[in-house]
Amino acid sequence: MPHGLPSPPSTDLAYEQAACGLLTTDSHGRILKLNETFCGWLGYSTAELLASRLPSLLTMGSRIFHQTHWAPLLEIQGSIAEVKFEMRCKDGRTIPVMLNAIRRVHGSERFDEVAVFVAEDRHKYEQELLRARSAAEELLKKSTAAQEALAQAQARLDGESSRQRAAAEDRALFAEQMMGIVSHDLRNPLSVVSLSGHVIGRGALDVMQSDALGRIGKATARANRLISDLLDFTQARLGGGISVKRKPLALHAFVRDLVLELGAAYPGRTLTPGAEGDGDCEGDADRLSQLLSNLIGNAMTYGNPQSEVRVTSRIQPQVFELCVHNDGDRIPDNVLATLFEPMVRGPGVKTIGRSIGLGLYIVQEIARAHEGHVSATSTEADGTMFTVTLPRQVETPARI
Amino acid sequence: MDIRKRNNVNVTGHGLSTMVFAHGFGCDQSMWRLLAPAFADRYRVVTFDLVGSGMSDLGAYDVAKYDSLHGYAEDLNEIVDEFGTGKIIFVGHSVSAMIGMLADIKAPGRFAAHMMVGPSAAYINDGDYVGGFEREDIESLLRTLESNYLGWSSNMAPAIMGAPDQPELGVELTNSFCRTDPDIAKHFAKVTFTSDHRADVPKLQTPALVLQCSDDLIAPRSVGEFFEKTLPNGTITVIDNIGHCPHLSVPGASAKAMQVFLETAGL
Repeated sequence: MPHGLPSPPSTDLAYEQAACGLLTTDSHGRILKLNETFCGWLGYSTAELLASRLPSLLTMGSRIFHQTHWAPLLEIQGSIAEVKFEMRCKDGRTIPVMLNAIRRVHGSERFDEVAVFVAEDRHKYEQELLRARSAAEELLKKSTAAQEALAQAQARLDGESSRQRAAAEDRALFAEQMMGIVSHDLRNPLSVVSLSGHVIGRGALDVMQSDALGRIGKATARANRLISDLLDFTQARLGGGISVKRKPLALHAFVRDLVLELGAAYPGRTLTPGAEGDGDCEGDADRLSQLLSNLIGNAMTYGNPQSEVRVTSRIQPQVFELCVHNDGDRIPDNVLATLFEPMVRGPGVKTIGRSIGLGLYIVQEIARAHEGHVSATSTEADGTMFTVTLPRQVETPARI
Repeated sequence: MDIRKRNNVNVTGHGLSTMVFAHGFGCDQSMWRLLAPAFADRYRVVTFDLVGSGMSDLGAYDVAKYDSLHGYAEDLNEIVDEFGTGKIIFVGHSVSAMIGMLADIKAPGRFAAHMMVGPSAAYINDGDYVGGFEREDIESLLRTLESNYLGWSSNMAPAIMGAPDQPELGVELTNSFCRTDPDIAKHFAKVTFTSDHRADVPKLQTPALVLQCSDDLIAPRSVGEFFEKTLPNGTITVIDNIGHCPHLSVPGASAKAMQVFLETAGL
């Protein structure tokens, strides 16, 4: 013993009163030797525990674990550490314990040296951890459920909005069909009005009556044009496009006649025809009249009333052009960009004239039906020019 | 699907017939290290880990599939088909004895013989049948499992999964043979100890040896007697052993009893 240090208790006493329970068992778990600390914890005397088996001191759950984990591990590894069991005291209480064991061979016998530690505090701490863990798992479950509910709600909303979109499309389709039907049915009463006007016109009328009859005639004609625009619109939108019947056309004469005829409808305004080039052309005369009358109507409405409106027919090698020009305010670029879409109206004009915004759309559709196109340019200096470019002849696809 | 990886299948030994060893609840195929070598000179020896145990692919653990022993039985038949040659002799410890029995009943003819080490057809007492446990004992086991797996953490998984090129990782782990994911261990414990396959035992026509320990908490003598009465083609051999793992504690006596059975059966 080094000088100056106190002498510790004997080894025997140190064993008996060690800070942990100490056991020696044979390989079947029978207790051969044990210390006072262990006996004290369980409330047994040394004699009561000698020759009893270690597993018999455990609760049933611990005994199963001892059989399925402890015993094979000890066989395979020769030692085992930090296994937690519940031990049953003499008075029936259970105490949580941690066990370490090591297998030793003395001569022909195998012995297990076991150290036992009471683990009350650790046990409580672990219980807290386990409770916290199950609380966390519970929360996770709730949060997962909430997320699932959210995803389902989202899916429902998505379904809802696509249903709404489909419903809106249905409504739009219905409205367009409705427009076609109503326009068609309006023609009959209008033709009655028009016919009756003619009948009345044959009799003797005073000046006021004659003026009124003139207004009836103009209003009826305007209503008829409106209806045929609406019908063309619905045909273009729903019926796969406007149909045309192409026939040989004396283009310049056709345009000159039309300009003369339409000029009468705009008293006080100048409508000038122009012709360039020569050659055969094909087109649907009715549709092209409609096209030109729409463009000329626009030019009269939006153009400078003091300036002439010029209508030019121009025959080129492959195509022919119909150009309608007027002076006046420039059409802004943003308006120009959407000019040929339905329901778009020129700037600064409210409900004057016949426009409900279908005219240029129909012009475009007629041009397309002729496999051509329409374009518009507008500048302050040169005024506004609409140019319809159509092929002179459409070749019938060769049959093979 | 890679069955070798899923079940960490290992093949050793040489012979015309194949012995397939399946471990029980708790540890892994290392349990066979003292017994299987006794057969390696005459048989092809296949050992593996049940999915969820040892170095099996924990990612393959499908709670629904392994909610009964039938899921494990399907795996066993796949292992036998892929790794077995010649006659197949199945050695199942504890719960795996029942897994082998279910696999056989699913596809009769696959196995030439069963050797059941400490089997139990049902663990919970029921009327005259003494399985050895009450329902609350199983609850108590689940609590014990829970507190013993506290030290297991998910970042140990790669080491447990075994990186063959880094064996030093495995060395540091104590108790590694019995470690696995705590949730899987609990589920497997519940499935094992609440299983009841008493009604299936009479369906096993294949010759079967029941290796019964003289003193076994998990599979008491009463259970061995049940098998003796119920197995159509069974042989019971009682080994003098205290505990549930005679293949570890008395490997010599266990091997001897098995060899006697195999000779009698002409295998």
